[in-house]
Amino acid sequence: MELKKRGDLTLNGLGSANGGQFHHVKINGTGTVNTDIDCTEFECHGSGSVNGNVTSHKVKISGNGKVKGTIETGLMTVEGTAKIGENLFAKTVEVSGKAVIGGRLKAEEIKVKGMLVVKEDCEAELFKAESHFSIGGLLNADHIEVSLFGECKVKEIGGQKIFIKQKAALLGLFKSFLPTQLEVDLIEGDEIEVENTKAAVIRGNHVTIGPKCQIGLVEYKEELTIDKKATVKEYRKV
Amino acid sequence: MSEELISKKDLLELAGISYGQLYRWKRKDLIPEEWFIRKSTFTGQETFFPKEKILQRIERIQTMKENLSLDELADMFSPNVSELQLTKDDLLKRNIVSETVMNIYIDTDKGSSVFDFSRILEVYVLEKLLQSGEISLDEGKMLLGVLKENRAVVKQKSCDLVIMRKLGISSCLLVVNAESFSFETGTKVAAQLSLMTCAEEIKSKLL
Repeated sequence: MELKKRGDLTLNGLGSANGGQFHHVKINGTGTVNTDIDCTEFECHGSGSVNGNVTSHKVKISGNGKVKGTIETGLMTVEGTAKIGENLFAKTVEVSGKAVIGGRLKAEEIKVKGMLVVKEDCEAELFKAESHFSIGGLLNADHIEVSLFGECKVKEIGGQKIFIKQKAALLGLFKSFLPTQLEVDLIEGDEIEVENTKAAVIRGNHVTIGPKCQIGLVEYKEELTIDKKATVKEYRKV
Repeated sequence: MSEELISKKDLLELAGISYGQLYRWKRKDLIPEEWFIRKSTFTGQETFFPKEKILQRIERIQTMKENLSLDELADMFSPNVSELQLTKDDLLKRNIVSETVMNIYIDTDKGSSVFDFSRILEVYVLEKLLQSGEISLDEGKMLLGVLKENRAVVKQKSCDLVIMRKLGISSCLLVVNAESFSFETGTKVAAQLSLMTCAEEIKSKLL
């Protein structure tokens, strides 16, 4: 890429511009970019929207950002609310706010503190979440570490190590109002530890079922531990 | 849909792999999405795979992963096989090209007997069209010329190759990213071929 020839695009206040190739793109205030953007750094403070795709080394959304198409980037940081119409492909995704993705999310590392909604599949090597999240398809990651906060829904989870923990409630008051539970159809992995999870089927080698779980069927290869406070309808060694 | 299916559980058992490995390979696109076939059984939903294909693929992954990293493997299975190099004998052995067509190709090409992916594609297209009898030898040589001149385009974009004839004169078109096209009446399309599909076919033969 010939970066030297590229200019910057800055939208301050109310404005709109067409996309293209840029070095830095910064939207402060209410800015709209009408077409695709290809840049080295994309920043959106305020409520910006892009009616196209964004390709960039770094994308930062702090405020209220909307991208209609797909984002392809190295580092994706969300510190406010981000809405992505189609897919998000990134190396690292850090969300400390809310991110809604209309399509697939594919990354090497995903760290969420806040809320994550993915309509289709979510793939990563490392998935770490202390949050409220919902994934419409398969959550596929090598290492999954989740602290449940609020009501979480995933269709299927697959991976090597899967740890799902109940987050220690800071404010005991809210505990009774917000049901914190993970609802999932199927969990498959080599090492599985779950708490407070409602699942139809769990399959794995080493499986630990913690308190407050409601599981339909557990199939395990080597080891199974079930907490006294958990309900497991059926389990068998295969 | 007559091919034999194998459930995920049986597959893991049979191939001796773990859930972690299977999901990792899926993430790296080593196993295509279409092979995950969902079916409801009495225990709920289960995933099945086409038995022969998946076992063959897993065997290939396992033998190759000793000398290649997973990412390199992913390149191997992906549509852009850029690094791949095969010799003339490899191509003949894997039944990608017949000996006759290979000789014709080498005759016109005058290149070495080591093939990169562009050249494999070219010779495969030639093989396909000549064997089906859709084009003549001269037309074949003409299309090779077109493909060779546009190698860079062929690599990146989805291209269609069209051979047409009118009043006994044939011509060859390389259509890039087009949705459709139409000709004057009296023009006969002798052959049409998507290069993307050809590339996929070659890859499935290599695997």
